[in-house]
Formats: sequence, C-alpha cells, structure tokens
Amino acid sequence: MSTDDLSVIGRRQPRLDGFDKVSGRSVFTDDIVLPGQLHGRILRSPHARARIVSIDTSRALALPGVKAVVTSADAPDLMFSDRQPLLARGFVHYAGEEVAAVAATDPLIAEEALDLIDVVYEPLPSVTSLRKAMQPGAPVLHDWAPGNVALTHDKDFGDPDAAFAASDLVVTDEFRSPVQHNTLAELHVVLADFSNPDKLHLYTPTQGAPMYQMQLAKAFGLETSQVRIVYGNVGGAFTGRGRAKPHHLIAALLSRVAGKPVKIKATGDEEFIMFRGSGETEYRFRTGVTRDGRIRVLEADVSFDAGAHAEWAMILWLPAPYLNWLYKVDAVRYRGRFVYTNTVPKGSHHGGIFGRLSAGWMQHLTHVAEELGMDPAEFHRRNAIDPGHHALDGSDFASCGLKECIDKVVERSGWKQKYGRLPPYRGIGLGIGAQASGGKNASNDTSAALVKVADDGVVTLYTGIPDMGQGSHTVMGMIAAEVLGVEPADIRIVAGDSDITPFDWGAFSQRGTFTTGNAVKAAAEDARAQLAAIVAPLLGAAPEDLVFAARRIHVKGQPPDAAGKSLSFREAVGKAFHGAEGRPIMGRGFFNSPRPSGSLAYSFGAQVAEVEVDPESGAVQVLKVTAAHDIGRALNPLAVEGQLDGQVFSGMSQVLYEECRMDGGQILNPSRLEYKLPRTYELPEVEYILVETIDPYGPFGAKEVGEGPIVVTMAAVANAVANAMGELIPRMPMTPWRLLRVIRHREKQNRG
Amino acid sequence: MKKAIITLTVNGDAREVAVSARHTLLDVLRGKLGFMGTKEGCTTGSCGVCTVLNARGEAVLSCLTPALEWDGQAITTIEGLEKNGALAPIQQAFIDYHAVQCGFCTPGVILSAQAVLNATPVPTEDDINDGLAGVICRCTGHIKVKEAVRAVGRANAGDTPVVAKP
Repeated sequence: MSTDDLSVIGRRQPRLDGFDKVSGRSVFTDDIVLPGQLHGRILRSPHARARIVSIDTSRALALPGVKAVVTSADAPDLMFSDRQPLLARGFVHYAGEEVAAVAATDPLIAEEALDLIDVVYEPLPSVTSLRKAMQPGAPVLHDWAPGNVALTHDKDFGDPDAAFAASDLVVTDEFRSPVQHNTLAELHVVLADFSNPDKLHLYTPTQGAPMYQMQLAKAFGLETSQVRIVYGNVGGAFTGRGRAKPHHLIAALLSRVAGKPVKIKATGDEEFIMFRGSGETEYRFRTGVTRDGRIRVLEADVSFDAGAHAEWAMILWLPAPYLNWLYKVDAVRYRGRFVYTNTVPKGSHHGGIFGRLSAGWMQHLTHVAEELGMDPAEFHRRNAIDPGHHALDGSDFASCGLKECIDKVVERSGWKQKYGRLPPYRGIGLGIGAQASGGKNASNDTSAALVKVADDGVVTLYTGIPDMGQGSHTVMGMIAAEVLGVEPADIRIVAGDSDITPFDWGAFSQRGTFTTGNAVKAAAEDARAQLAAIVAPLLGAAPEDLVFAARRIHVKGQPPDAAGKSLSFREAVGKAFHGAEGRPIMGRGFFNSPRPSGSLAYSFGAQVAEVEVDPESGAVQVLKVTAAHDIGRALNPLAVEGQLDGQVFSGMSQVLYEECRMDGGQILNPSRLEYKLPRTYELPEVEYILVETIDPYGPFGAKEVGEGPIVVTMAAVANAVANAMGELIPRMPMTPWRLLRVIRHREKQNRG
Repeated sequence: MKKAIITLTVNGDAREVAVSARHTLLDVLRGKLGFMGTKEGCTTGSCGVCTVLNARGEAVLSCLTPALEWDGQAITTIEGLEKNGALAPIQQAFIDYHAVQCGFCTPGVILSAQAVLNATPVPTEDDINDGLAGVICRCTGHIKVKEAVRAVGRANAGDTPVVAKP
C-alpha cells in the first residue's frame, strides 16, 4: 500500500485521551476508592542481612483501627517466586525486604502500627556490592549458589578464537554502570480486593496483565481467570512495571485476611528502597579488527548485580543476540553472569540492558576506530549491516536503514567539520543502535484485539495493550480507523481490564506498535470484511472491490459519493444491523510472529550528540542531539517525536546523572531531589530525522520506536563526553565529580 | 488527634473540612474533597505532581503545606482551569503539542505552566525554564511541554489569535 492510499496513518494525531488527561479527568489507580477500603503499609528490613530472632505483632494488632497484621507466620506457604518467600522467613537478605504488613482504616494509623511491630534482628555478614560478592571467600547468600553466581549464560556464534587469531588488532576496554531507579511519575501503587476468595481484583499500573495474573494466580493457588487486573491509566513504566512486585501480593494477602479492599502506595523514599531498577553492571569488551577496519569478532563479558534474588534473569541473555544486530562479523562471543548481592532484587531501567551496555560498547568501538586511525562514522558504516542480512544468531533483517541513518546524522550534524576539530572540552559523539520490535522469548508473542461496530457507526476497539504514555491507544485507534475508512475520533478505546479486554502480553520488548498493531489491523480487517460482504450486493460489486475511506464505502474506480455505488459508513452499518439478517459487526484478530524465536523486525538508528564540559566544575551541558531513526513508518509522527524526546531526555539523564548511591546495602539518596534527573534548563536542542523503510511485516510498515532511540542516545552522549575529555570515561554516570577527578588528575600529571 | 474546622475555597466553591495538624492540603483535596485531578507523588516536594495554584495564581506544592494554614484561603486545582466546559488555552496547547504522555504529572505541570503565564503572560525562555524546573517528566523530557507554553505565550502576545497547531 503506498503512502498516497493512507488517510489516517501518518497524520500528526493528538492523543485520543488528551482531553481527559489535561483536565484532571483521567483516573489512575490511587484515584479509585472502593467501599470499605483499608490502607496497607509494609514493614521492611533495615538490615542488608540478618537472622530474624523474633517478631511480635501484638501491640500493632491492639491499635484501634488496625484490621490486619501479617507476617510469614500467617502465610507460611506464600511464595513470591520459587525460592523467595513473600514475607521474610527466618532471615532477611536485603535492606527493604518485606517482613510484615498492616492494614488499617486510615493511612496514618497504618503508619503508626508499623512502629508497634517489634522485630529483633541478629545482623549477619553481608555482601552489598557486585565486586564484594564476586571476591573469593565472600559470604555466600544462598546455599544453592556457591560464589554467589546465580546464573551464567555463555554463547558463541561462529569461531571467536579463530577470528581473534586472524585479527590484525585486538582492543579491550572495561566499563561500569550504576544502580538506577525508574523514577516513574506515578509511584508504585496497588488496590487489591480479595474479600471474595473466588476472585482477586487487582487495580494497579502495569506493562502487561498476563504476567501479573500468572504470578498472583500461582502464589494464591487460583486459576488465571480468577485474577482480574485493572490498569486503566498507567503513569509511566520505563521497564519498571513488567512484573508484579511483592507489594501486589501483600495487598492481596491483607485483603484476604481483613476481608476488605486494601490499597498500598509507596512513599517517596520507600519507592527507592523497594524498586527493581537496574543493578550495578560491569562490562569487558574485546574486539578484533583487520587493519583496513573490518570487524572480525565482537566479545562482551558482563557481570550483573541481581540483588538478593534473580527475579529478572532475562536481561542476562539479551546481550548475546544484540551483539549480532549491527555489524557484519565473523564471530561473536558473550559471557554473562548474574550475581547475588545483599541488595534489593534488580530488574531493568529505561532502555533495558541495551542502553547501559551501549554507553560502554560504543565508547569502546570508537576507541577501536581511533586505534585504526579511522573516523568512527566511517568505521560504523563500513561494518553496518544491509537489508536482507542474515546474522550469525539467526536474526533476519527484512528492512534496515542503518546506513542511511548514519549518513543523515553525519550530514545534518556537521560531523565531518567537527569531529577532531573542536576546542578542548567540547565534544562530539556518534552512536548507533538497533532494537527488536517485539520478540518471541517464551512460547509465543501474542496480542489479540476485538473491534465492535455500533449501529451509529462508532467503533469500539478492545485492546489489552496498556498506554503508559507512549500513545499506543491513539495509534491503535488510528490503525482501526485507517482500515475501516473512518476517523480516529470515531474510535472508542476499551482497555485495561483483563476481564474484558482480549489477551495481550503487554507493552514491553517494544512490541506494542508492531505486534498489537498487527492484531488490531487484523481485527479491523475482519470487521471490514463482514461489512463488505453485506454491502457488496447492495452496491452491485464484489466485496474485494469496495473502498473504505472518508467515512464512506464506495466501489473502486467510482467517486466516493457515487449514487448507487456508495454508502456512508454509518448507513452501511445500519443496513447490517437493521436488515433482515440483523448482523452486528464484530471483528477479531490476533498476531503472533511466525518465527520460532527472536523478532520479525528491527529498528535502527544513529545519533550525534554535542557536549561541552566545564573544566572548572566538571558539569556537562548537552548542546545538541541529532537523531535519525529507521522506524519502518511513522504511524503518528507527533507521538514518534514524543517518544524520541523522552528517550533523548532519559538517555542523557542515565549517562550523566542517574545513580542510586549505595552504602552497605542502603540507598543514600532516596528522593527525587538527590537522585538527579535533567530539569527544564538542561535540555539540548534536538533535531529528528525519520527514516521510513516500510517493513514488510509491520502494520503499514511500522517498526518499534519504544526503546530503540534511548540506546543510541546513551551511546552518542557517552561518546561525546569521552571526545570532550580526550579519553574513555569508564564509570557511569559521568557526574561532575567523576569528570573533575579526571581533569584534576590530568592537570597534576601535566605539571609533572 | 485534635481537629479544627477550616474553610477552604476550591475552584470558587467554599468547603468546610475537619483537619488535624498532620493533614496536608493534598490530603484534604484528594482524601476529603475528592479532587482526584491533583495527584499524589513523592509527598516530599521533589516531583511537583501535586502542584495547585493559590489565590494569587502562584504554584504551591500541596503535599508540603499543612492544611490548617489554608483556613479562609482559595485555591485552584486542575479541575478549576476549565471555564464553562471549555479548556483553558494552556490545556488545549498541551493536547495540540503532544505535551502529555502518561499524564500523571500533567495536572501539576499544567498548573506550573499556568503559574508562569499568570506572572508573565508572554514568558521568556528563562521564565519557562524556571517556572517548570520543579516538575519532573521522564515521558516528555519537557521538550513539548515547553513548546506548548511558548505557543500560549505567542498567543498572549497577539502573534496568533488562538493557539496555533504545530
């Protein structure tokens, strides 16, 4: 389908929920109040590791207004995951671990009750950092993991040893990235109603209902359908809401015990203590190249801080395929390990593992290019994959605009005039990246959708994909509108209730536009086919010869309003409903990648960042970011720009600012004042170039734009700072303090 | 805990509420009066989502201010920006310029922006940066938020009769 045939797709469409969101009408979880609702609070371990000598809840239970107090004694079999009790049993393994919980008629009473729970701890030796945990002889957290190694993942593609041997030059670099927090706008919150033991209603923001349903059902011995997840508006996610967390299960437990709905809402500092953001990570990259700049082999060795439990092992194996997606190489080697520490279990942060990996890896590859005496832009381009590439890991790339993205940012940023020619402490950096549009990591990667057409022509779209800000509901509405030839304003979205909406794994792995988009397209096409079958005889044409556009249905080749050869959409639906057949129009569709594993489509991008480092303070100002992204097709360019804005912001934030300062397993900066994010006056100028390669598998050719750009921003900003400093910056974030130490050290050396 | 009855005018309507010394303005707005458009974030004054306007049209962090101090005063919440069912220009600009994503911080950001426009109908870039520096929005990175505020500023300057579509 050519662009000319599209009337809704490609439009700068404001959000369909914009009116509700700007006027305060949008209902978020904390805005929901159920009759008889209680307020829950959680008592957390103050120790990184300790034996629990005793817990006495009697004083808390005696407080007027307290309706339930629970400890592991009340739920001896309740597990959060296979090896992790929901409430601490005998021992605590991290500061912040859930030890007890209360439900009371008022939040202030619940808080007071926490102070009345008497717990006696006997502190034990702990390992509270990745390095300490990996030291020989370090205390062992769990007896099933000698050396504190929870899991390992080793993967070779091709023959890395032979490829290194055949390389003219081998370069090795090491990097470290910190503990980081998702800092969602809407803090973690849940409202659980388990007062009826046959049905657990859980109101909570989530990236996807099925994971939560499965976790809750397993823990409480329910069928999946007995768990209802309600997730109307979701206040940001950034990979922070992929799985249910202990507070979700604790709210359900309190509700079961108290027989009333219970709401648990994290406080500002608690949010930082119980979070599941990214853990400390150490990377060693080794790359072998030929003298003329061809990459023969890429190697990455990565150690992840898992925290006290390996909750999100998926991030351990994700880097292996990623190393294959950008360059034509002979071999790839990946060694990864997940390491237990006495800290809160870790998950991921905006950009997933690829963002932080990329901030180091792209500095390393720039280093390789410079060792070869090559312009990094030329080095990336020389090795970049082309459309049709078949990677060593089996990935296929039907569409790929990587080289075009590199060329465009090089041109628009003035790279050739600036690279290597800027004054001291001014820097320019280039990053490139790829990202999967969904992917089959488990048995399937399914999204389903339903389209119901009312007799007044209004279309209701039922979708399980959450809209946590990215604009997915608006784009899904646009897809349905395009297929049915109506306007986005004619589409009503019903979403966010697992009792109502069809199955959808949810919004992660950048699968929304691609996978759910294809499902919505299929459902709308089904509805269109039903309508076409009824209308075709009335217009004296074959169903396949009907055109749906501009709220009308007409015969191909005829004007849209041709007498006898066209009908308005509303008239047509009326005939279907109210004719002798009495046929309501209800389309259904689903999409699941036909590939056995991996993804069907990948986005690509290149960005150039320009920065200035103040040598007096070490502070970095990002001056400009030029970004080119191959996203297949921009279904809604306004929302695509919004995605890019957020990712440039969050990417520079992670490279330059964001760090949970940890000491002995305690977070020292648990507030949004001390955990720094960019403020309005720190934003760079941004310029976006959309490269549309029209992917054959994407809905209308679209690929993901959900997390591809941030990976590239992190690479570009890290490279720009390294360029300004004249050396690699191995520790992230690149705070003023860290850069100033480099500057001072260098000044000292220069003075001799 | 002892309570006192305060009179608080919210969006033009006077309301009587019993509050203790522990209640914040935010507790009263959300918990007692049901103005759920005002969001509760960090409750420590560092995220800005609970912002409301005082009688002078200035931004106030409702999570930090004790309710008892508001006896006899008037405030505006996000629900009070609309006039006769029509959105305020800043609200419409937020829709048109895609300055809204997840929307959780949006009421606080819009009221912070309105406070900037109340003080300076045609704000400079510094006015916008300063006035919005107290709110954090990871979704939009503030980029389109600033575009929306600039657009209303341009309209106020008479450059365009209404908020121009981007």
